Amino acid sequence: MNTLYELRDLGKLYAQQLRTTFATMVQYRASLIIWTISAVLEPLVYLVVWTTVSNGSGGSVGSYTAGGFAAYYIVLMLVNQATYTWIMYEYEYRVRQGSLSFSLLRPVHPIHADIADNLSSKLVTLPLLLGAALVLGLLFRPSAVLQPWAIAAFLPALVLAFLLRFLVEWTLALAAFWTTRVSAFNQVYFVLMLFLSGQLAPLALFPGWLQTVAFVLPFRWMVGFPVELALGRLGPLQAVEGLGMQAAWLGLSLLLVRFVWKRGVRVYSAVGA
Amino acid sequence: MNALRLFAVFFRVSVLNEAAYRVNFFVQVFQTLLELGTSLAGLAVIYSYTQSLGGWRPNEMLALVGIFFLVGGIIGLIIQPGMSALIDAVRDGTLDFTLTKPEDAQLLASIQKAAVWSLIDLLMGLGVLVAALVRMRTGLSAGQVVAFAAMLLAGSVIVYSFWLILASLSFWFVRVENLLEIFRSMYEAGRWPISIYPGWLRFGLTFLVPVAFATTVPAEALTGRLGPGTLFLALAGAVGLFLLARLVWTLGLRRYSGASA
Amino acid sequence: MPAPAIHLEHLSKTYLVPEREAGAGAALRSLFHRRMQAVNAVADLSFDLAPGEIVGFLGPNGAGKTTSLKMLAGLLHPSGGECRVLGHVPWAREREFLRQITLVMGQRNQLVWDIPAADSFELNRAIYRLAPADYRRTLDELTGLLELGPLLRKPVRNLSLGERMKCEIAAALLHRPQVVFLDEPTIGLDVTMQRRIRAFLEEYNRRSGATILLTSHYMADVEALCKRVVVIHHGRLLFDGNLSDLLQKFSATKTIVVQLEDCVADLHQFGEVVDCEDGRFTLRIPKADTAHVTERLLTSLPVIDLLVEDPPIDEVIDRVFNLAPDVDGSSPEEHG
Repeated sequence: MNTLYELRDLGKLYAQQLRTTFATMVQYRASLIIWTISAVLEPLVYLVVWTTVSNGSGGSVGSYTAGGFAAYYIVLMLVNQATYTWIMYEYEYRVRQGSLSFSLLRPVHPIHADIADNLSSKLVTLPLLLGAALVLGLLFRPSAVLQPWAIAAFLPALVLAFLLRFLVEWTLALAAFWTTRVSAFNQVYFVLMLFLSGQLAPLALFPGWLQTVAFVLPFRWMVGFPVELALGRLGPLQAVEGLGMQAAWLGLSLLLVRFVWKRGVRVYSAVGA
Repeated sequence: MNALRLFAVFFRVSVLNEAAYRVNFFVQVFQTLLELGTSLAGLAVIYSYTQSLGGWRPNEMLALVGIFFLVGGIIGLIIQPGMSALIDAVRDGTLDFTLTKPEDAQLLASIQKAAVWSLIDLLMGLGVLVAALVRMRTGLSAGQVVAFAAMLLAGSVIVYSFWLILASLSFWFVRVENLLEIFRSMYEAGRWPISIYPGWLRFGLTFLVPVAFATTVPAEALTGRLGPGTLFLALAGAVGLFLLARLVWTLGLRRYSGASA
Repeated sequence: MPAPAIHLEHLSKTYLVPEREAGAGAALRSLFHRRMQAVNAVADLSFDLAPGEIVGFLGPNGAGKTTSLKMLAGLLHPSGGECRVLGHVPWAREREFLRQITLVMGQRNQLVWDIPAADSFELNRAIYRLAPADYRRTLDELTGLLELGPLLRKPVRNLSLGERMKCEIAAALLHRPQVVFLDEPTIGLDVTMQRRIRAFLEEYNRRSGATILLTSHYMADVEALCKRVVVIHHGRLLFDGNLSDLLQKFSATKTIVVQLEDCVADLHQFGEVVDCEDGRFTLRIPKADTAHVTERLLTSLPVIDLLVEDPPIDEVIDRVFNLAPDVDGSSPEEHG
């Protein structure tokens, strides 16, 4: 097969998905607003909590002042928005409804349609969140040390984070092939993410042993790392280490996805769509 | 009372309904425990850096967490399922069946569904609350207990009325389910005492989406922080919002049945 | 003479529907100035039902049957006119009134989906505050008449459409209502089940003396059950009387089925050719001409077989509806 031809088809697929998603989201305007509220509220709550702790502890917690926390959580909100997926719920629904059969019949791997849908939705919601970030910035006076090289490294880190998180969560979504107790699975994952990706608290505030655990596991590389990078909290060596870890985990997840997908399709087809 | 009798019958049916799903009891317990564990671990991280969060000491926060789960359980048990089902019934016309029954339609619509598994949240919350009170060791005065019960009741009535108003909007608008999501998301902010939030957020969580009355206010009653102003506001709010909800419901029904305004 | 169970006088229901043309321009304009069109769902409806009557409410989709039924059940407020059911004003929704009526809707269930019907029955028992002995007796009777035995223990979602409908009907009759409203009760059911339900309704009416008002667009329902038929079209009463009178009044034609070798011959001179299949012609002719046309057919064509029959009832009703003028100027409804 001509690879260029394949790529062009892929490109068309993504463009088409963008149009479809955009049209759908315009329909669901109200839910967009509501969704924005919840996307902003969680980091906002932690921002306030840590600021309160900081104010009550002489102005800072570890290397984070109130301004530092503000910067951290505003950037976290945006990075989280860029990398998050809702694919687990999708697959639970699709398997239950049997509509997965349609995706399986297509010549293109279903993951592409899912990525396209994910990106298109985010393109629509991005302006809303940037607006929210602006407002929060005005309200909370964030402070950070911005370094040009770190900002430059931020972009590849973000892309890697997105891919890694997508692959991991997509693989997790495939659990729907084997069990109906998907929500229990997801919950465990969300808890791990909450603590180990830097959402509950900047990882630098955790005890040393926990930081080591977070270094080895993939969660930090999905969310926390790009945030820390953007805020100038990492040295060049740490940045390189981080990118390396992202790449390593990405490779691992690619293997995992292939493995689980093959098995999953077999199970699904055996049961009968 | 008739309402309680009917509720018991509907509750029994809901239990049977959920049992029909053969949802694993242990999985449900696991999930609630996990949620609780997460809450407590989060608190542990916070309190490793401070002795008091906005004036709230660890055991007081623990009580707040207990109340958060307790009220969350109440909402999940009898408020959310009924209101969700109400929106569906308005949309597909099965509300007609409710309207031809010789009982108050608001009552029937509110108790028609109960999500039995939320009882686990409720009981766990209660357990955590009791543990917190034991640890606090400062005795509770009778007044505090009464105030707490009153605030819990007022909070529940306020939340119910709020949900009913939102659900009743489905008499005028389509796709109202999303609105109910607002409360669910904002309820997360109720894990923490709302006194720590900036003024504008405090205002929103009190007067726009009444999360404050669900968790913080009862917790204040229990920890001796409840001011007479807040007490009065909660009671007045409960009565006022309940009456408002009844009004919106009645207007909605009139619209549904094509009565001229 | 006993007071009528149901009494309608000039009952009407008008809806204001936003009028909108297609296109972006019209969409934009509608933001500023919405033009409303009045649609008469029901106009000037008057009739009486004596206690214990079974009456069929017949009409095509959109004729106003369901709207009328909902007004009688108290679910809709009328725009004008008067109505009394069992002496009550329905939309006042008094408890005494609601205790004596019941509603069955063909496409919608009141039974709880995932649990056995028997448990849903318990709900109704509690709502209607039925004494245990009365409840038992009624339930036993309904179980016998509807052959519900094995169905009651199965979750409703596991029942077939027909079985579900039987349980729905049973649930609706547990409180022994005096007036039974049925909106398209046999829709979607197979022929055998339709027959069973009709038989049940007839028996139930005989035993309980309940007044039954049933809407349908299945002629068979009306044919089997109702001596009296009310035909409604474009919201107006078109006919109120015996079914046989309806057929008499509106069927001015007869159908002749002629079997020839093939469909080549042109029979238009004899009458209206409805269709032809494998040489079997269906002709529609004015009733008065029956003998004359029959004779001509037999003498001038190589007829293999010939049959004279009344037109199918559906066709009669169709013609009734087609003949009715558009009285209120609203867009014509779909026929048939």
